[in-house]
Amino acid sequence: MRIHQYEKIWIVGAMILIVGFIVTITYGSVGLGITMIGDEEETIAPDELNDDEQFGEPRVEQVGENEYAAYVVAQTFIFQPDPIEIPANNEITFHVTSRDVIHGFYVPGTNINAMAIPGQVAKLTVEFDEPGEYGLICHEYCGSAHHTMEGLIVVQPEDEFDLTELSAETPDTVAPGDEVQLNATVENGQLEPLETTVNAEIGGQTFQRDVTVDGNSSQNVTFTVESDQLGEGEYDWSVSVDDYEETGSVEVVPNGTAETEGGEGP
Amino acid sequence: MDSRVSREIGHDEYDPWGTLSLIVLYFVALTLMWLFTYFIEFVGNEPTVFSTGVWVIVG
Repeated sequence: MRIHQYEKIWIVGAMILIVGFIVTITYGSVGLGITMIGDEEETIAPDELNDDEQFGEPRVEQVGENEYAAYVVAQTFIFQPDPIEIPANNEITFHVTSRDVIHGFYVPGTNINAMAIPGQVAKLTVEFDEPGEYGLICHEYCGSAHHTMEGLIVVQPEDEFDLTELSAETPDTVAPGDEVQLNATVENGQLEPLETTVNAEIGGQTFQRDVTVDGNSSQNVTFTVESDQLGEGEYDWSVSVDDYEETGSVEVVPNGTAETEGGEGP
Repeated sequence: MDSRVSREIGHDEYDPWGTLSLIVLYFVALTLMWLFTYFIEFVGNEPTVFSTGVWVIVG
């Protein structure tokens, strides 16, 4: 069979084109590590999410050095947690599922695009290079308020990110002569120990205590003031750790006249 | 039917260079569009979902 010269050029050119397509896809997959979101994750009962170890409390947690996991629950018409706070330049693995109907999990302008299907967990690993706020929308019609279903991903600079939580409380009222106890709990969700200073103030008296909170644990710090030193009346207190602050007030009143107001922090 | 052939040419003498240049142009356009779609519109749209397993193999 005789093939015309131009036909040979056409055949070879078409072959090169097809091979070129395959080479770019292979490069993306092997060289850049781009992957598809698979269905190899275990299934989960959507009506038992509250009892689930991971989705019962949707959150971000550190799972390794520079590796974080974000457990996200989509439901009509919100995402939990909201906002999702994560560090830049770290591997973030989102585990996304739905509590009710099919939702979407899409960060516009990026390739983060998944379906949140009740009963299934979509697992996707991404890395944000640029700190900033990224919108998150549902792009699968899910009901009458679908168009309002949005979330927020806050990417913080790596050195500003922490998983510290502060909670504090005092009794609502203290009888004169008793001690006013302020209990503060510093929780460190990261793997590295947290060395920090707890600053507290009760009715004008200030305290400072250095604490080291181990990774994935919490520590209680108690500050006490003699109520006799304060005298009767209502006193504001505050506790701060890094950028976190809790405030409240305590009342020193003789027994029997105590009001049940104030006390715990917000 | 009258034959209006004024000159008969052989297989290799047939030279449709106009068609060839159109096809070459089409190939070039296709290649450029593919590169644009993949490397700028897709890969450039970071962050992209990647798998940690492949990184280990490559790295």
